[in-house]
Amino acid sequence: MTRVPMEGKVLNENQQVAAELRAEFARHGVLALNLISSPGSGKTALLERTLERFAPERRVAVLTGDIQTDADAARLAKYGFPVRQICTAGACHLDARMVRRALEGWDLATIDLLFIENVGNLVCPTSYDLGEAKKIVLLSVTEGEEKPLKYPGIFFKAELMLLNKIDLLPYVPFRVETAVENARSIHPEIQVLQLSCQTGVGLDGWLEWVDAQAAAGLNIGQQNIQ
Amino acid sequence: MHEMGIANSILEAVRTEAAAHAPARATKVGVKIGEMAGVEPSSLAFCFEVLVKGSDLEPLELEIRPGTADELAFAYLELEEPELEGS
Repeated sequence: MTRVPMEGKVLNENQQVAAELRAEFARHGVLALNLISSPGSGKTALLERTLERFAPERRVAVLTGDIQTDADAARLAKYGFPVRQICTAGACHLDARMVRRALEGWDLATIDLLFIENVGNLVCPTSYDLGEAKKIVLLSVTEGEEKPLKYPGIFFKAELMLLNKIDLLPYVPFRVETAVENARSIHPEIQVLQLSCQTGVGLDGWLEWVDAQAAAGLNIGQQNIQ
Repeated sequence: MHEMGIANSILEAVRTEAAAHAPARATKVGVKIGEMAGVEPSSLAFCFEVLVKGSDLEPLELEIRPGTADELAFAYLELEEPELEGS
């Protein structure tokens, strides 16, 4: 019996495609944001509120992933920006290959900001790099403040936690401070924004965050290429 | 349940790596999984077993070692030289 060292990441193939996408995004100055949450936390609602606030000339596009149906793409197409549905037909996450396929035919030179709405799932999407500049995790206040402890992977990797549905805080036993503490026990540097897609409170802060990332966009892309 | 996909990626990588050492056969693969990798070791072990059973790689074994942070990487591959005929 001999033992040989084996190098490389297990998801090396996905990693390679993701690296190609990242290089492509950097080349065209596209800021790609990967939105991850449980089903029903408000990813699509957030994108609806975001797109409706953008000026028509904003160079934004959306890829939205679901196991079945193109319901989300239909919801998002109303705002006049390019939207494509990725139907995973059973898969519980998006992978880099699906993103690459979905981007075919789009001229990245005409896009500055790409939202990728992952399949609703706090676990599986964590492992798959999509070439994004940042992962963003949404947590809605109806889900409970212990989610970061139960699903540490995504809170570790996400740069921003969006606490959504804060209009419901008076009706649910959810302590914002505890949720933030829990997230920071996993990832001390995680940024946190609170918002409600229903009332619109906090949306300005979110849009400012997006603009700040876009302003720093090229640097982000270049740092991540290595 | 993305552990099935991950198990499949492990088997594919083992096939490629083992081919480079032919005619030796892969007997065991070591994989490092960090706590933040989002991969459940027992679920991965189960999927791995299911996929190996009846495949060309049977009876390949899997050793899961703790990795750092979000690490999901290979550690090693164990190979066995085929027994010489008549020995």
